[in-house]
Amino acid sequence: MVLEISSLSKSFGGLKVIDALSIGVERGERLALIGPNGAGKTTVFNLITGVYPVDAGKILLGGNDITALPSRYRIRRGLARTFQNIRLMAHLTAIENVMIAQYPRAPGAAAMLQPVGFGRANRWRAEARAALAEAGLEAYADEPAGALPYGIQKRVELVRALAAAPRVLLLDEPAAGLNAAETEALHQALEAIARRGVTLVVVEHDMQFVGRLCSRVVVLNFGCKIAECAPRDIHADGKVREAYLGAEEHAA
Amino acid sequence: MSGYLESVLVLLAINIILAYAAFLPMVAGQLNLGVAAFVAIGAYSAGYLSNSFGLHPVSAALMAVAMAALTGWLVAFPILRTRGIYLALATFALNQVVQGTILNLNVVGGASGYPVPAHIGFPVVAAFSLAVIVLVFLAFRTRFGISVTAVSDDERVADLMGLSVRGVQSAAFTAGAALAGLAGALYAHHFNYIEAQNYGVLFSIYIVLYVLLGGTQTVYGPLLGAAVFTLLPELLRGSAAWRYVIFACLIIAIMSLRPQGVILKRAWFSK
Amino acid sequence: MIEQQIVNGLMLGSVYALVAVAFTLAIGVLNFLNFSIPGLFMVAGMLTWFLLRAGIPWPLAALLAIASGGLLALLVERFTYRLMSRSEHFVPLVTSMAFLILFENLVLIVWGSDLQRVPLPFESVSFKLGPTVVAVPQLAGLGCAVLAVALLDLVLKKTRIGRGLRTIAEDAEVAIMLGVGVGRVVPVVFLVGGLFTALSGFLFALNYQQASPFMGEEIALKGISAMVVGGMGNIWGAILGGLLIGVVETFSIHLFGARAVDISVYGLLLAILFVRPTGLLGGAVRQARV
Repeated sequence: MVLEISSLSKSFGGLKVIDALSIGVERGERLALIGPNGAGKTTVFNLITGVYPVDAGKILLGGNDITALPSRYRIRRGLARTFQNIRLMAHLTAIENVMIAQYPRAPGAAAMLQPVGFGRANRWRAEARAALAEAGLEAYADEPAGALPYGIQKRVELVRALAAAPRVLLLDEPAAGLNAAETEALHQALEAIARRGVTLVVVEHDMQFVGRLCSRVVVLNFGCKIAECAPRDIHADGKVREAYLGAEEHAA
Repeated sequence: MSGYLESVLVLLAINIILAYAAFLPMVAGQLNLGVAAFVAIGAYSAGYLSNSFGLHPVSAALMAVAMAALTGWLVAFPILRTRGIYLALATFALNQVVQGTILNLNVVGGASGYPVPAHIGFPVVAAFSLAVIVLVFLAFRTRFGISVTAVSDDERVADLMGLSVRGVQSAAFTAGAALAGLAGALYAHHFNYIEAQNYGVLFSIYIVLYVLLGGTQTVYGPLLGAAVFTLLPELLRGSAAWRYVIFACLIIAIMSLRPQGVILKRAWFSK
Repeated sequence: MIEQQIVNGLMLGSVYALVAVAFTLAIGVLNFLNFSIPGLFMVAGMLTWFLLRAGIPWPLAALLAIASGGLLALLVERFTYRLMSRSEHFVPLVTSMAFLILFENLVLIVWGSDLQRVPLPFESVSFKLGPTVVAVPQLAGLGCAVLAVALLDLVLKKTRIGRGLRTIAEDAEVAIMLGVGVGRVVPVVFLVGGLFTALSGFLFALNYQQASPFMGEEIALKGISAMVVGGMGNIWGAILGGLLIGVVETFSIHLFGARAVDISVYGLLLAILFVRPTGLLGGAVRQARV
């Protein structure tokens, strides 16, 4: 298994948000993580990437225990992510944003002082530009990220995450706010990434999108895994229906 | 070159170094109201070294830079645990404490001022200033430049992208302190007299303001800010107080109309 | 003579307390460190000197000096908070710094840089409280300060304007949504801060019989320390912090001499920022932007 969380628990001020959660992800798999709002999906991502420390349980990446590893080292081990609310650096251009994520591949003080900003020939810069071009975003390379349209920013964020050459990519609601054409383009892009061998874990609400992309679905509610199956079997699962409908009744 | 022109150019050279001293922490998101403290540390250390140990003024200046950098690095540990306004307040408090401490050190003259006879001439000051400009320009063409902005824009994500947030912030703060120390040491040895009363928070405020005038989004901004602050009063020839009145009005106008400063940004790594 | 030092400290502290209230209002409600406040303090103090020297009766001088604070504060508001939401978040702080420089240098031009003696317009009366001597004008100053803050507290709690201010302090965007007339309420913060600061400047000039263009830097700036020590955003904290700083300063002069004051007062600020940034009476640390 390339990524495994084992009996993970997390509480915030007495409220148990993640409860003894165990999920295993195989190399090259496309796993979807779904559940009603507040089920803890983003919290799981935050625990895996080290934004919060875990209360109990273990996180293993490629067989290595990263539970206590400080967050900034996890991307070096091949774990990258995108964010629910886009988190690009607003005052950096698109290409500079992408280049930020290159650092984990060659970290250290010497790398910090490398004059990557000089000339077009610099290989890191050329690589970032090529990555943007491959995603059809070359026109936006030198624009400040904060000024870019929403759909473009989302795509830049994906390119940035890939610049770290991850083996596992965590995507938090990548299709949120996208229209049909953009969603299709996203699907194609993620298919291509998965074909290159990157493992995908996707939090999503768009079940059609999930059904096309992912081979397996894990359903969360109240921080617990309540079901785990293929996308087409989700509708039949009684507990899942109750989780979603129950939540709807509550809201009504 | 006339003595008057020379002293204006020296001031310009020193103000440029000061501008970059404030600029580096500011790009990292730190409003450093303690710049003057590090200038004072640089000035007084250098003066003391050349007075008491007969060191060549340039050597004294370099050692003073090291002292200011070391102090900056040590102080960064507690100070960088604070953020935003608390950070600004902490640097303000630091400034006043350092100034207050120097005022009590009779070995360097205390409140009476401190003469520093060893002289550094204009060419050397200009050389240092040019070197600083080149170094800063180079620095912002490296990964460090975009890392500093990244940390300032979004600390959490910068960390998740693999950057050592503390390391980058500390580097920016320490480098700023070092440059401030350099400016202080050069001033002490060119004008040959320093007074602790001049290194209060208002001095830091002047520097921060003229950096903001030029804009913190490019490496050129601080140059413009330093130039306006140094040269405009010379062109207008009023008393010192009038110069500051006009400067203050300029700042208010700029902040109303164009708060990013005069020079807007394209990118650190523009084509 | 510890009791006398404490009494002196409390008297001085009332000056800091008023300024601290002005600072803390701006921070608490508007999330903005208003560096122009020391400028207002200084202008009020210098005006007090100027008017009293010209023979103006002291109640009128007081009125004029305090009004100046209010007026200048509104001027500052026009150029700082009005701009806040539209652009970079540091703009109000920076502009307030520019105003401090502006006021200080304008006063330097008009009246020069000398320390001025303020004539006392009445016989200074003092009485003995046990082993200590208490000057009546200074006691009146302390009384004024406490009264003013109590009044402010009442206004904040009981009036519509006060509720508006507290709503803005909680969440400016929600306040706008709730229909709080932000455009009318915000100037009140500045106005009240300006009046308090000017009152403090007047009291200082009167009680210590001195004024200078640098008194903003030398005295009112310590109000920031008082504000933080007492707890940012808390007006009773500002009183507590002010009195504490006054006592710390007085003892510091007594024990270490006049030149150690900055080290004590600002050293305390530094220590509080590192150890307990919320201050003595403050709540959770706000992720305050500069």
